[in-house]
Parts: sequence; C-alpha cells; structure tokens
Amino acid sequence: MPSRYGPYGGAFVPETLVPALEELERTWKAARRDAGFRRELSRYSRSLGGRPTPLYFAERLSRRAGGAQIWLKREDLVHGGAHKFNNALGQGLLARRMGKPRLIAETGAGQHGVATAMIGAALGLRTEIYMGEVDMERQRPNVLRMQLLGAEVHPVTSGQRTLKDAINAALRDWIANVRTTHYLLGSAVGPHPFPAIVADFQSVIGREIARAATRLWGRPPDLAVACVGGGSNAIGTFHPLLRTRTELLGVEAGGPRGHPTGAASLARGRPGILHGTYSYVLQDRDGEIRDTASISAGLDYAGVGPEHAFLKDSGRARYVAVHDEDALRAFRWLCEDEGIIPALEPSHAIFAAVREARRRPTSHHIVVTLSGRGDKDLEVVGRAIGA
Amino acid sequence: MRSGPDPALGRRRRALVAYYMVDRARNGRYTSLAIAARDAGATRLELGFPFSDPIADGPILQEAADRALRHGTHWDDLRSAIRETSKVLPTIVMSYANPLWTRGLARSLANLREAGAAGLIVPDLSLEESPPWRRAARRAGLDLTLLAAPGSPLARIDALARASRGFLYLVSRYGTTGGGEISRSADLVPLVRSAHAAAPELPVYVGFGIRDRRTARRAMASGADGVIVASALESALARRPSMATVPRVLRPIASAVGTGGA
Repeated sequence: MPSRYGPYGGAFVPETLVPALEELERTWKAARRDAGFRRELSRYSRSLGGRPTPLYFAERLSRRAGGAQIWLKREDLVHGGAHKFNNALGQGLLARRMGKPRLIAETGAGQHGVATAMIGAALGLRTEIYMGEVDMERQRPNVLRMQLLGAEVHPVTSGQRTLKDAINAALRDWIANVRTTHYLLGSAVGPHPFPAIVADFQSVIGREIARAATRLWGRPPDLAVACVGGGSNAIGTFHPLLRTRTELLGVEAGGPRGHPTGAASLARGRPGILHGTYSYVLQDRDGEIRDTASISAGLDYAGVGPEHAFLKDSGRARYVAVHDEDALRAFRWLCEDEGIIPALEPSHAIFAAVREARRRPTSHHIVVTLSGRGDKDLEVVGRAIGA
Repeated sequence: MRSGPDPALGRRRRALVAYYMVDRARNGRYTSLAIAARDAGATRLELGFPFSDPIADGPILQEAADRALRHGTHWDDLRSAIRETSKVLPTIVMSYANPLWTRGLARSLANLREAGAAGLIVPDLSLEESPPWRRAARRAGLDLTLLAAPGSPLARIDALARASRGFLYLVSRYGTTGGGEISRSADLVPLVRSAHAAAPELPVYVGFGIRDRRTARRAMASGADGVIVASALESALARRPSMATVPRVLRPIASAVGTGGA
C-alpha cells in the first residue's frame, strides 16, 4: 500500500496521531487478507447498501449532447443516497475491529455525515459529526437525517465554516480522543493511510463499472468522468480503470463565474501541505489556505487527494473545472431528460460529460459516476433558479 | 554561521520558553515583549507564525492566528520580529509545515537563520516526514525540534530524542494547545527518562496546558528540564494587552521551574 503517489501524499501530522495511523494501517492490512472481513463487507454492501448499483444508459441526455453515449453509474441509489456509504461501511468495520467505540467524521454536503451516522447506528458505535455552520445552513435536510440516525452534529464556527474547517475540528477531536475514537475520514485526503484506504473501499465503483461495461458493450468505457472535491468517488471510479485504455476525467468546482479559484485545487492551486497530506492546495504566497467558493458544499474544499495530484502530473487523468452556473444547467438536464434529481456535486461531472460527448462519435461510451442524489440540494437549487 | 548547540542548553539547564504569536499589530513591540519575558524568567522565546489551519492548536491560539492573519501578517513580519527578539533571547520559530514548504524549504530556513532564529518547531511534521527537513535545517544552521507525545511508544521517544535538536518538545497530554488538564507527572516520567537516556545532552521541555505554578510544577516533577508557555500568555495578552501582563503570567511559572521570578 503506497504512502506516496510520486512526490504526493505522506503523513504530516502531530506526533499524537502517529500511533493511531499506524494502528489503522496494520488493522486494514490484516482485514484485507481476512476472508471473514471481506465476507462481512460484502454482505453489508449488498443487503444494507444495495450494491451492486446499476449502469444506466442516459438515452435522452445523450441525444441532447448529440454524440457519444452517456451512461450513469448510479451511486445515487446506494443506501443513504451517495457513494459515501462504501467507505463509511469499510472504515466502520475497521473501527469495530480496532475496538474503538466512538466514530467522528467531518462532512461538507452532509452525505458523508449521513453515511457515517447510518453505519454508526448499524454497528452500534457512538457517532459525532463536525459540520461547518455555512454547510449546515445550505444542507439542512442532511443535518436532521444525521440527528435522526442518532449522531450528534457539532457546528463548526471557525474559518470559512465549511468542509476544511470541519476537518480541522475533527482532527482536533481525534488528537484529544485518539485512544477511544476512530476518525472516519470521508474523502481520499488526509494523512496516510487514509487516501489509500478510502480509494480501496471506493474502488467497488470502478470494479462494477468495468464489469458492467464488459457485459454491456464488451470493453471498458472510452471515458470515465467523476466530480472531484477531495476526490473519493473519482478515485474509486478511476482506480480499477487505471490499467485499461479508458480516459479519465476529473471535474472540479469552478465556483461562480468570475471567482478567481472556485474550489479547483488541481486546476488553480499548487503543491502544498494541508490536513496531513502533500497535494495540490489553493493557497496564497505565504502558504495560507485560501477561501474557496462553490455552490456544492461537497466540492467546496481547498485541497484534493494526493493520488489525484499524481494522476494529474503524470497525465493519466485530466482535470477540468466547471462553474456553478453550468453545474446548475446540467442538474436540470438530468431532471428533465432522465427523471433523476442529481446532487449538485456530480452535476459538475454531468456538464463536463455532455461537453465531451458532443465531440465524440456515437460509438463511444462515456460513464459518469452519479455520486449522489439531489434531495439535499433542493433549497439551494430553488434559490439559484428563482423557483 | 552555526548557531548552536547553545552551551547552556548543552548542560540541560532549566528553561522557560515564552511564546508570542507574530501579529502585524505587534510590530515595533517585539523588543519590549522579549525584554518583559526575559525579566520575568523566560530563557528562550518562541515566535509563532500564524497559519490558517492550525490543527494542533486549541481555541486560544486559533483565535490568535486568525487575528494575526486578519491584521495582514506576512512572512516579512516574522523576519522582523525575529530580528528584534533574538537580540534579547535565543528565539525559535513555530510554524506549520506549509508556510515553510511553499516558498522552498532551503529558502525559508535560510531566511529564518539570517533573521537570527536559533531553531524551529513544526507541529505537523512527523518523525517519518522529517529527514529532508532535518537535512535542510542542518544546512541552514537551525535546530529542528521534534515533538513527542504521551502515546508515543518508548522506542519512538528514543528515536525522536536522537533526531531532535535544541530540545525535545514533550506534549503534556492528549489534546491541542491551551486549556485542559495535563497528564499526571507519573505518566510523563518514563517518557522523559527514556528521552534523557537516548540523548543525554538534549533537554526535554513540556508544553501544552502549562499555565500557572501548579501545572509548571507538575510538568517539572516528571524530570523535564523546562516548560513552554503559549496559550496562557496569549489569552492573558488578548484580555489585557499591556507589558505588565507578561510577568503576571510568567513569574509564578518561572519560580516553579527555577529560572527566576517570585
């Protein structure tokens, strides 16, 4: 298991956390070799999570694009309404294996918080979630869901009061309670071994895509598209396709048109150290982390997973930024063309996929990971389109 | 051009390290702040460079950093602060990894050394990530001080003590900087003993939560050579930003440590 991806990754953390990270790595390595663990993971995935998820041909959306076929990997159908379940389940089982009775997690859009709360309930682990005050406001339905699932939600009032600040708060809690608590980090970011563990548990997405594609049209997709905040659904999509000929396209949040950076760390940041990992970071000249902007709370993050940094530099994956306005257009296309209300995060990927489809022949197959459903976003979208 | 090892520290003399956050609003007052600390019994100064995401810090230092950044504090303010304080007391810099990394490690560290810094503490630098940083610090003539924590296995404490320069920063407990109870002395004793055995010349200073005579005594009872006072000083200064605040906080601690004061 790599602790570095080229120069990226590593574990830049206070000494207090090092023994816990080592324990996590040991536990995970042992669990991967343990048939009992794999059986349990797969049983919960199927019977609680609803996996495998379908690959759906978005015929009318493809017609709108007028080119390649667009297929949707339906992670919005996973229990809880997002791909976040995959990782929360895996790490929840690891926490139980380590004998840690308490889970903490950060959440931006609330999807990872909901997934962690569900797993905490199902496995009987106490769960506390850190969420920026701004995000609590814009993703209110998810706050209530977490509370109903038995989690305590702590508002984070420091900094910009979004995802980055929630991670800070969760890390500080972990430093204080590391002996009894597992920090169930929700994205492919943070210190080693988190990026590798999250990629591992999310790779089920890409494995299922590869299998379904082979069954449906006899080869891997020509292009796989996924949105990138920290980058967990994207790395899960890309990983199993790395050794195929599939082109990989990550889509970051460009923020509102005219904003200097949005939340596009790969497109507009430079390498730096944030939250324990060395990767692309939106930062100023002094290395202070910059404020970000995005209509989607889940992509509104100044850093990105270290493996994406490596995939960008190596050229194996491309990354583009899509503005709020275009993500909203794609959101409505999917509603009107396919009867699916997507989350705002994958709406960025949908827009990029449609743009790609236009330039490609109808024989091409594009798979977009629809990482979550959009019920949580109705208020934000309503305000944005003046409904 | 090599700064240390400071001969006094080489004999592991008792030490009181006083911390100030670098804040543009304090420009012009660092010399007085340093003198106030020295006169109250401090033997070294630690200057903190504010970072937007200080994960090892509790609310007091988070707020101090936020304030400093709102005041427009930049790298050059750190350099001019070091120039002032290092004339009064040996000065070490506390900075998170990214501000140092972002302008190039060699260049950052040379900057600090030129300004007069003696050493450097990077709270999010683990032993595993430290080799290139230690090399860069050695080249720049700075002591790179590593942190040890209550949960560090003794074998790790040994490795940390052998790799650390200037002193070993022993974190007093599980938690971030500032308020909260520090570990019982008895729990810290084996850690301090282990560090001293591994690196007999290297002093061990305890930090995080040292705020008064009682906590300083408890820290010293572990066998440590000194303490570091940060949040207590910053929170007192935030409430009463006058030079008289400095001895009020530091004197009782200095007397418990044995570096002076009453």
